[in-house]
Amino acid sequence: MSTLDVLLQQVVNGLALGMMYALLALGFTMVYGIIELINFAHFSVFMTGTFVGLVVLSLMGVTATSKSLTGLALVGVLIALFLVTMAITGLLGVLIERVCLRSLRNVSGTAPMITTIGVAFILINAMLLIFGPQAQRFPQLLPNWRWELGGAEVTFKQLVLFVVGLLLMIALSHVVRRTTLGKAMRATAQDADAARMMGIDVDRVIVLTFFLGSALAGAGSLFFGLYYGFTGYYIGYTTGLRAFTSAVLGGIGSIPGAVLGGLFIGLTQSLGGQLLGVKWTDVIIFSILIVVMVFRPSGLLGARTPQKA
Amino acid sequence: MSALAARLGERLGLARWRALPIARRRQILAPVLLSIGLAFPFVTSNAGNVDAAANAYTYVLLALGLNIVVGFAGLLDLGYAAFFAIGAYGYGIAASGQLKPEWSSLWAPLEWAGQVSRLAVPGQSEIVQFHFSFWPMLAISAIICAIFGMLFGAPTLRLRGDYLAIVTLGFGEIVPVVARNWEGLTNGAQGLGGIRTPKLFGFDFGFSPYPYYFLGLGLVAVAVWISIRLQESRLGRAWMAIREDELAAGAMGVNHVHYKLLAFAMGAAVGGLGGTFYVAKLTTATPDMFTFPVSVMVLVMVVLGGLGSIRGVVLAALFLAFLQSVILQELTEYVHALGRLVGNDFLQRVELITSLELIFGLILVVMMIFRREGLWPAVRRVSALTLEQQSVAPARGAAVELSWARAAPGAVGPGRPLLEIESLRKSFGGVTAADDITLTVHAGELVSVIGPNGSGKTTLFNLITGLIAPDDGSIRFEGVEIGGRPSHEIVARGVARTFQNIRLFNNLSVLENLLVGEHTRLQAGVLGAIFRPPWVRAEEERAVKSALEVVEIFGNRLRPRLDHPAYGLSYANRRRTEIGRAIMTRPKLLLLDEPAAGMNPAETLELMDLIRAVRGFGVTVVLIEHKLDVVMDISDRVVVLDHGVKIAEGAPAQVRGDERVIEAYLGRRRRAA
Amino acid sequence: MNRRVLVAGLALVSLVALLAGLPGGLTAQGKVVKIGLSLPLTGADADGADAIMKGAQMAVAEINAKGGVKGYKLEALVYDSATPAAGQYDPAQAATNYKKFIADSLVMAAVGPVMSGEGKAISPILSEADMATITPSSTNPDITDPKFQAQYRPKGKAVYFRTVTTDAYQGPNMANYLFHAQKIKTVYILDDGGAFGVGIADSFQKRVGELGVKIVGRDRLDPKEADYKTILTKIKGLNPDALYYGGVMQAAAKLAPQGYEVMPRVIKAGSDGVYDLSWPKQSGKEAVEGWFCSQASPELVTSQKLEAWVTKFKTDMKRDPTNYAITSYNAVLVVADAVERTVAASKPLTRSNLRDAIQATKLGSIQGPIAFDANGDILTRTVSIYQWRDGEIKYVGVAPEK
Repeated sequence: MSTLDVLLQQVVNGLALGMMYALLALGFTMVYGIIELINFAHFSVFMTGTFVGLVVLSLMGVTATSKSLTGLALVGVLIALFLVTMAITGLLGVLIERVCLRSLRNVSGTAPMITTIGVAFILINAMLLIFGPQAQRFPQLLPNWRWELGGAEVTFKQLVLFVVGLLLMIALSHVVRRTTLGKAMRATAQDADAARMMGIDVDRVIVLTFFLGSALAGAGSLFFGLYYGFTGYYIGYTTGLRAFTSAVLGGIGSIPGAVLGGLFIGLTQSLGGQLLGVKWTDVIIFSILIVVMVFRPSGLLGARTPQKA
Repeated sequence: MSALAARLGERLGLARWRALPIARRRQILAPVLLSIGLAFPFVTSNAGNVDAAANAYTYVLLALGLNIVVGFAGLLDLGYAAFFAIGAYGYGIAASGQLKPEWSSLWAPLEWAGQVSRLAVPGQSEIVQFHFSFWPMLAISAIICAIFGMLFGAPTLRLRGDYLAIVTLGFGEIVPVVARNWEGLTNGAQGLGGIRTPKLFGFDFGFSPYPYYFLGLGLVAVAVWISIRLQESRLGRAWMAIREDELAAGAMGVNHVHYKLLAFAMGAAVGGLGGTFYVAKLTTATPDMFTFPVSVMVLVMVVLGGLGSIRGVVLAALFLAFLQSVILQELTEYVHALGRLVGNDFLQRVELITSLELIFGLILVVMMIFRREGLWPAVRRVSALTLEQQSVAPARGAAVELSWARAAPGAVGPGRPLLEIESLRKSFGGVTAADDITLTVHAGELVSVIGPNGSGKTTLFNLITGLIAPDDGSIRFEGVEIGGRPSHEIVARGVARTFQNIRLFNNLSVLENLLVGEHTRLQAGVLGAIFRPPWVRAEEERAVKSALEVVEIFGNRLRPRLDHPAYGLSYANRRRTEIGRAIMTRPKLLLLDEPAAGMNPAETLELMDLIRAVRGFGVTVVLIEHKLDVVMDISDRVVVLDHGVKIAEGAPAQVRGDERVIEAYLGRRRRAA
Repeated sequence: MNRRVLVAGLALVSLVALLAGLPGGLTAQGKVVKIGLSLPLTGADADGADAIMKGAQMAVAEINAKGGVKGYKLEALVYDSATPAAGQYDPAQAATNYKKFIADSLVMAAVGPVMSGEGKAISPILSEADMATITPSSTNPDITDPKFQAQYRPKGKAVYFRTVTTDAYQGPNMANYLFHAQKIKTVYILDDGGAFGVGIADSFQKRVGELGVKIVGRDRLDPKEADYKTILTKIKGLNPDALYYGGVMQAAAKLAPQGYEVMPRVIKAGSDGVYDLSWPKQSGKEAVEGWFCSQASPELVTSQKLEAWVTKFKTDMKRDPTNYAITSYNAVLVVADAVERTVAASKPLTRSNLRDAIQATKLGSIQGPIAFDANGDILTRTVSIYQWRDGEIKYVGVAPEK
């Protein structure tokens, strides 16, 4: 491979990686947009989703070592997998909101965020106790097609990741901008009390927001599993922190911003790894986070500002 | 069970204990607790337990340090382990053979001081061997950490709490990675080895746990002492004011940038002590020892014990550290033994320690939902009212004298302009809240600002007190431009205010609220607060005396409630406390934003007396008020705003009849008619 | 009410007394020699530690079943050296555990630690107490290197004995093997940032440099990272003959499948850190195909003569053994043998005497002859090379020492 080919390949890698972060950042940034809560538990819900997916698949008789599926059987399994997993993670999100966060909704300060850290720890360690510390193989359902693109190579999985990420971004923007639920969400985000007086069931809107956000985390978790072919109890922390950084970089609360931020972080990670070495990845990414926080706290596309009112 | 405990408490004289003053209780408790601490190694037969206790003291130090940042100042730091690491590596590098710089004469003073020595290397130039002494390094590590604390804190100052947490988390991630990859400095993943143990008068601490135990106990005692001193000082009050309400703190003269950085620095310094102690005891340091779970564990300790509660944090840290290193392990032994006894395979294999992080998570969630103040919250000095205090008839104060009261208004020179506002403009998006306002307030005057809702009255106050910066125009106070200056600076010049929606520091007592008002008049810094030299003691006494004087203004309304937390006060008393707090800053100009809102007629009358009395102290007053009878009664002059424009100004009677004022209040007449 | 308080107090006291007596009451009475086992039984290293613990427990059980050693029953005193704060082994907890062993007058010697990171913290403590520990798996050479004697054994005598060969041989011998047998000319080196991984990668790097192999790069994986495509693409661009990975399973589980996807034909090798029978299960059979790995001991588990031992381990301990289960089993045998010789020589059974006896060990075992040099390192310095073929680990041969 020539140097140029390597760089091109790194761009492809970075874009796919960035889309993975974007997928996770979407649900997170949406929840933030409505209730202005940094929900650490979001990324643990994502991690839990990969294990839920594993269990769902094994209930359908699909394991990492079973024969690969094709045609209608594959489509059927995938549809069932996504529906069930997203429903379960969505309900998990609702459960977290009802049990842990609702009573704290009007508490100012850092209490709600500390609670989400607690929830994250509970989920991480529950998965660790149930499934053990070892990496778990995730069945490779998607075919291993690959194409040449200049000197680089694009896989079918990368393409799927990219298309799905963009579609979800568009769909989510549509839900928030155009639908009744979206209007109710934006009204709640602006002023929950006023929204309530206008006849909006604020509780229901927030529950739906959590359901939607967590279901998105569930979808993200399945793409993670299908793309990387493994899962582990710790993926919510590392991958989650990067996704978080993406959301902040893009402008927290902004749906297109999450995707833009994700792609930027993905490219930074792959090109930074190529040029400086992967051992500095965390330093590079967190330095970006800190610099953004200092000089442009509202992010690339953010309307909201994380500064004090 | 609780009845039993209550009766037990009664037998032991708990009520009498509670009645003792805090200072007296401390005088008794400190030696008792210290002796228990000193006796522990002789009571337990196991050196392993002593070692575990010494490790636990490290965690106590960390928890006390984080408590300054999170508990006192309310800044959620999720990367606190970074300071633990920096402290540990600071001493580790200085007391091991990690760095081997070439010898040059620059090292000679340190060689003379016995901190480094020359080492001959066959065939090469001489190198320097580091063996810095533990005791000065304890202080140096703390200072290095304080500097890093400020460096890490600086980017977060403008950020809201949750974002601040994320940035600190980022630093917490970066530090171990740097420690892992900067092999020349830290020996990378292999970690530092052979770090020298402390020596004291020729006695080497070595590897026995006992000397470390006593050293740890001493460090904890010092950290507790520092924490208490800081909490009960001007600094502690400033931190807690920022924690409770940053905006109001600024309006009382607290420079939040300065005090936040100070909190980061102090918290980091205590963490650095912990790191230095830990690594001297362990003699090795690797990057794995300082990762995110450590930060979370320390946070769990602070949350469990109670944010800001020194005693709670110490106990929680001891408990959780022992839970990790001793209790769960021994409990596992029992469970295994039980499993062997009953032949249960599962019980024989279960490892309770694996569920500790799960327990941490549960603690965080449960505490936040059900008991945010922690298991053993900070002392609430609520002393019951004596019968005498209860039976005192409500009386109006107002007739009292303030020792710092300025000369009678006439003496200031009538007509001298105090506040001059010229062509002031401010707009928010499309709304113009101040449109070309020009206004002069003379010393000794009492001016009222009235106008319909949304006419820009509060915006005017916010502009004068520096909460928002003007788009255009000037605000001069005593001839000095103050427009756009930070609010703490403006307070220091002598402009104080109250807020329309009352912004007290809810978890502070009435007295503490008042003392925050005195902030700008006090001098004590970190060392002053910790060591409390006579001049600091004297200024604190003066501050309390001054607060008691101010309380007198309100008769016996606040006096019996001085020790009560502000959140428990009645509405009128909250207003009074807020006004008192503003008076405490010794303002030349006092801005009152709807002080009579929500008061009944009797209370309103009392308030008017009070305002007159304040004026009598030589304080110029500007008042926003909706109750027109109040305004007409006490004002020298009335200014009317509508849609950010000054539409009228003059004596009360004159303004009352003004056509445009009536129009603004009652709506415009139909012009078409 | 006084009586109620009294009753409640008495109940509490008796409960505590009962609990305190429980484990003691259930252990064997009579003359006991305790062997301290401080192992990271929880967290990231749990699985390997579990096998090591069971190897030791099997040896203890077998010896006791034969009536003990000269009238002494052996007892394994097990402590966990991992803490949630560290998420893995914690040197401070290991130090605490060893201080507990030292405080227990019946503990005469220890087996452990598992990780060299723990070893660095405990070796000076053991030196002070003149108590020997025998590690079945800690391979960092510094701890026993006389160059660092002042740091790790200030009293001078060896206290840190090993039934495994150090990294000083494992990494270089793999380098020798790849150079001589696989004829590599260029190599890229990765580690996982752990003390073990970095150390063995360093020793490998030093040796390949001496052999004249071109090192095209060196980088460090974050074991909790999911995506290694970046570094693998970079390596592919550099086109080395071989990739060497120094580290343990957490990163390897992801490195293998992604490496297979990006550069299936490059020679890939690791250390004993990836000698893990569950690797194909974690990463897929085809992904680990062709990977070389090494063991710091003669070939054991897969050899025919050990079949009986492996079968017994599987039945008794209900899990698959690892090589370190065997070195840990042998570590207990070394202690038992030293107890026997000490008693036979009618010396008092003290830690010092036991240390001296361990130093003089000459024992035939299922891993071959065990004897220690003056620093505590095992004299047999065999490094075995294995390769994954068709989902199974196959013995390739002894790595060349030069």
